[in-house]
This record gives sequence, C-alpha cells and structure tokens, in this order.
Amino acid sequence: MTSAPSYSPTASPTASSAGSARPTPNGTAVVVGGNRIPFAKAGGAYAGASNLDMLTSTIDGLAARFGLAGARLDEVRAGAVLAHSRDFNLAREAVLGSSLDATTPAVTLQRACATSIEAAWDVANKVTLGQIEVGVAAGVDSTSDAPIVVSERLRRVLLRLGRARSVPEKLKLLGQLRPADLAPVAPNVNEPRTHLSMGEHQALTNLQWQVTREAQDAVALASHHHLAQAWQDGLFDDLVTPYRGLTRDAALRPETTAEALAGLRTVFGNDQPNPTMTAGNSTPLSDGAAAVLIASPEWAAQRQLPALARIVDAEAAAVDFVRGEDGLLMGGAFAVPRLLARQGLGLDDIDLVEIHEAFAGVVVATTTAWADEAFAAERLGLPALGTLDPARLNVAGSSLAAGHPFAATGARIVATLATLLARRRAADPEREAPFRGVISVCAAGGQAVAMLLEA
Amino acid sequence: MSGETLDGGAFDGGSTAGAPTRVDHLAALPATGPLYAGALARAGRAMVATASVGEGLPDRALRVADVHLDRARLDAYCRLIGETAGEAAPPGFVHVTLFPLQLALMGRADFPLPMLGMVHVANRVEQLRAVRTDDALVATTWARDLVGRPVGSGDRLGTQVELVTEARVGRPDGELVWQGVSTYLAKGVQLPDLALLDRPERPAFSPPVPTGGWTTAKLTSREYATVSGDRNPIHTHALAARAFGFRGTIAHGMDTAARALAALGPLRGEAFTWTAEFAAPVPVPGRVALRLERAEDLDVTAGGVRPGWSMTAWDPRRGALHLRSALALA
Repeated sequence: MTSAPSYSPTASPTASSAGSARPTPNGTAVVVGGNRIPFAKAGGAYAGASNLDMLTSTIDGLAARFGLAGARLDEVRAGAVLAHSRDFNLAREAVLGSSLDATTPAVTLQRACATSIEAAWDVANKVTLGQIEVGVAAGVDSTSDAPIVVSERLRRVLLRLGRARSVPEKLKLLGQLRPADLAPVAPNVNEPRTHLSMGEHQALTNLQWQVTREAQDAVALASHHHLAQAWQDGLFDDLVTPYRGLTRDAALRPETTAEALAGLRTVFGNDQPNPTMTAGNSTPLSDGAAAVLIASPEWAAQRQLPALARIVDAEAAAVDFVRGEDGLLMGGAFAVPRLLARQGLGLDDIDLVEIHEAFAGVVVATTTAWADEAFAAERLGLPALGTLDPARLNVAGSSLAAGHPFAATGARIVATLATLLARRRAADPEREAPFRGVISVCAAGGQAVAMLLEA
Repeated sequence: MSGETLDGGAFDGGSTAGAPTRVDHLAALPATGPLYAGALARAGRAMVATASVGEGLPDRALRVADVHLDRARLDAYCRLIGETAGEAAPPGFVHVTLFPLQLALMGRADFPLPMLGMVHVANRVEQLRAVRTDDALVATTWARDLVGRPVGSGDRLGTQVELVTEARVGRPDGELVWQGVSTYLAKGVQLPDLALLDRPERPAFSPPVPTGGWTTAKLTSREYATVSGDRNPIHTHALAARAFGFRGTIAHGMDTAARALAALGPLRGEAFTWTAEFAAPVPVPGRVALRLERAEDLDVTAGGVRPGWSMTAWDPRRGALHLRSALALA
C-alpha cells in the first residue's frame, strides 16, 4: 500500500540562505555589532531577573538593533557561569522566548569568564568555514539570582530516599540527617582544587609579580574615567539597551579619585604583610548579559548591515596554578604572545589592547609578564612582547568600572573593541595597515582566551 | 586465635626487624567504636588509679585476610578529601581502612601505652602500586621501636612507638603493595629501660607563599571521623579535646595530610613514598594554608635522594606550621 506523504512545503521566512547550500569557506567572519544591557550590581536593579530573562532581553535588543525579528539565524551560542540546573538548555530557551524565528538552533556552552568570547570564536570559525552565515555569541550571569542548593549530605540522602523501597529503609535514611544538613548552600566560585577565591589567588599572583597597590589603583582609576568618557561620547548608544530602569553601568563611578581609591580597606590577601587588593581594584559582583552578532561579510552586505571588524584569530591558554607554577589568572601572559607570534605581529602592530579587568592586578601582572625577557625566554620560548603603551589599553574602560557578569564579559569586549576599531578606520580610511585590536580574557581554572580583531 | 611466625621479606630494608614472632589472626577488621569505648573506660580508670602499664611491646602481630576496600566508603572519602573516586584508592584510604588493626593492637591489655591521648607525630607510606577495589588484601599490623623522647622544649619526656601495617595481595606472602608506618607519641609516659632519642630538630618556620588551602569545620571533622572510623573524641568533642590538653577540637592528622596530597593530583603516580610530619595541631574550625612545591632532592629513604613534591601546611593567621609532607616518586 502506498500513499505519498501529503505535506506541502510552505515558504518560511529565513534570514540566511537555504541550509542545503554547500559550505564554501571564504575565510572571513566579521563582527556586525553587539548589544548588551547595562551591567547592574548584585542585589541591584536586576535582582528579580533570571539569567534566562536577561539573555532573552539582550537577544531581543540585538534583533531590534539589526532588524532580525522573525529571522532565522544559523546559530545562537550562549552560556552562563552560575547556571541553574533548570537552564540546561539556556541558549535555546532564550531563542524560543525571543523575537528570533523559533527555528534558530542554539548551543549552551560554558568556559567560565571566557564563555562568550569562546562562543564568538566558535561562531566565527563556523562562519569562516562557510558552514553558517550568521550567528549570535552571548553570555549572561546573575549573582543576585544565583542557584542555592541543598547540602551534599541532604542531597545524597534525598537521592537514596528516592531509590529506597520500604518505609523502614526510608526512615533509616532520614534518621541520618542532622539539622546542619538542612541549611541551604550558596554558590561560591572558589577554585575547587585550591579552595582559594579568585581574589586570594590574585593576591598571590600580585606577590609573585610584585604588583603594587598604586599600580592597581591607577588601573581602576583609568577604567572608571575611560568608561565614563565613553558613555559621555555616546559609544554605547550603539551597544547598550536600557533594562529595568538602568541606563548606565551601575558600578561606574565617574567622580572617583586616586585618593578615594587609596582610602579603601583591603579585602584580599590580608594574610600577607602588605595587602593591596580593595573593592576598588577588584571587580564587583554583577548581573548582566551581552551579545555579539557575527556573520560573513556577504550576509552583512545583503542586509545592509556594517562589518565593524574581522575576527582574525584566537588562542586559548591554561596554566597550572594548582601546583603554584603560575598565577590563576595569568593565562593571558601565554595566550596573547602565542597568538601574536602566530600572526607574525608585535605589540607595536596592535592599536588597541583589551585586558579583562577581573582584578586590576591581572592587567598589571599580565602586561609585566609581556615585557619580561626572562619569562618570555623560559616560559614562552618567544621574544618578549615589550612594554605596552598605556594609551592603547582598555581605552573605553573595562570590567572594574563596567562590572563583570562572568559569562557576559567576552561578548561585551568583542562588540566594544570592534566598534572602536571601526571608528578608527572610519576616521582614517586611507591608512594602509589594518587597525588591530587584541583581547585577553582570563577565566577560572587557570584559563584564558585571546582574540585578534582588525578593521 | 592461633599464633604463627611473622614472615619477613618486607621491602623496606628489613622492616620486620624487631617484629613480633607470633601472629594472631582476626576474622575481620574490628569495629572502631567498641575499641574507643574500651580505651575511654581504661583512660577513666587510669585517671583515678595509678596507671599500670606493661613493659615492652606485645610479642604479637595482628592479621586479617580477605580485606576489600569498601566502594561506598571510598566514594565518600574521595569526595571529602578532594580526590577522584576511581578504582584505585588514595594511599590515605588504605590507611583508614586498615586503621582498626592498629586500634586493636593498641587496645590490647598488654600494649604499654594508653591509646587515647597519644599523638600522631609522623606517618610514612610506601606504595608499590595503587590498591584497587577488587584487591583481596591480607593486612598485618605490629608495633616496633618503643623509645623515650623529649617532648616540647622543656625537660618533659614521652614515649614513642611505631605501628607498622602492611598490605599484601591474596596471601600472607603475596605481593606487597602498601606499607604504612605510623609514629605515635604518648606525652608524659615514661617506661623503664628505654633508649632515649635526641630532641627532634625544629627548624624555624617562616610561612612561604601558599598555592592553596582549605577551611576546617566541625561538620567536616565529623564526616572524616565517620568515613575513616577514627572516632577519637579529640576530633569531634571540644570537652574531650580540652581534657587531653588541646584548646579545642583538632583535625585528624591523616585528614590534613590526605588533603595536601589530594592537591597534588595525579602527578603522584602509582608508586611512591609519602611522608608526613605533624607539627602544631590543626584547630577546628579554622583555616589551613598549603604550599605544593616540586623538589628534586627528597631525602625520604636511607641511601639516596629522589624527585617528587613537598607539601607544607600551616595556619595563615598565626603562621604556625601544621604539616611537612613529601611525596617521593618511585
């Protein structure tokens, strides 16, 4: 018995070409633009918002900015660091709640604080290979709406209770519980193998690299002043959509001074004789989300959208902080020199450098390592990058002033740097050499991701 | 119980030297609770009566055959200590599994030192290969080297003893896979006619830069007591700890040493010598700082240095040394 299937293909609106087209690697992925919500402080304006709420709004904002409502994109790739188990499919759920076409596929990923720069790297690679034409890389984190879990003992007893068959068996299991087992457990982001917080780790790195309080406070001061200037100049008109009454990053203190920063008490490394780390030179716990749109130049041109900057290359590094070989957040001291060496570039070829300010000490120690001949020779087997001109560093501020919702930071930086490079290109269209920018984002577990953009 | 001669053949340059000539076989590893209860009762009697300790070590080794590592307990131990729970047990888990043999020996009426109140001052493990959950072990424990030694910096004296535990696979003369030597000190106990050790050297300690650490907590100590069977009340009850001269509850020494080793992770390999010297007790609750450091010249065996790792733990607030440990690769 034969009966032909009776479905009739209906024309569905698709933003990209038919999925059956053969991949044609063209070697180019560009940043079309970005969108984020202003970053809030923990317990602040977004205290009632979940990761899914913030990510969905941010993707919606991106869709609104680039006319993508109802469009099917080839991929949305996003993640969160402090993830609820219910959000196992966070990126896909965000797509389904957004104005994008419901047939847009999505991937949820996590690489600690390098989550969304990793996502951008992945999307760019797929575009470069011609497998996809356009994708979104995004990240979100909430420290206000973080998961609270039950104690390990209670969890194990509950799991065994579910498997227990008889009432006496169940009673026996319940009898093992003590009052203390019932207390909820808040998340912490201490390193599981060293039991030290990131701040305590950075305090050790600061000792190793002799990072002074003054140097850290100078980084913090510059971050606030640069970010304030960038807001004033309207840089974020193209990059940020207000959310829940917040129109600007909540951690930003435009009026802060060196004296004010110098007056803060130290919060990390207080076991050391001369602690240097304060709430001023460490990032605040934050809530927020950021997304970046990456496509082939052809896709952008077809939709008359900009191609801000090309994603040229990226490199990851990881260090063995567990045995104290390198500081936890020093991956950028390896990733960036390796990336530039592969591309045959020196620090002088780079117009803008973005180092994620997890702590001001990360910026100081990383740039110190870049200039250290012995470190370069012994650890990298490469010539030292040399001394970085501070005028090229984090010119529109970074995480100390903006805040740092862990997984969102990479996408914030990729979109911001691409915009800055595009503006430099627009201001100097005749320059022969490309305007280049390099990003370094450190992450938990001793990792870091570096990325090279050019316009 | 039938006695038999302890067979030699230990690998550590004849570690059966001074070992007992007779072996008592136990049907199974004894439960630790009754052993502690008995010791508490004896300690109570000793407080009201003059201690009537014996002289010399019992001429007995205790042996138990067909010992299997307990899977569920190994999982719980690994989770607590920070090890990966696999088929191969961390060396500290073999120690806690076989620890009841030590207790049974120290709990015997003819053991010359009081079990409670003894301080674990050092531990040494020779592991020839990792002990696995499917190994059937024959474990033997005996005591050796009863000596007097100075205690603290004054002129107090105490008595020290080593408890040797070895684990062989399959048969009493099977493949030796693990050997532990635990050194205990009974402060204030003096026995006649003992050789006297020199005062141990105590090099000044200045805290290095840590690579990690952990916090101690009463709940964690109780969990370690449960999983290790080491229910010495100085680890779980402040009153008991004070009765034995401590300011409050203190962490299990082997808990501290095992956490330091766990931080090293898989770099320790399967075969090694693991040593631990316990200095100031670790207060509970409190914080512990740890430094792991690669070392090329670890002097853990007579005749020659070996590469490996040193592990140092201390109190980050007071700067007091808790643990000097080493892992020398085989």
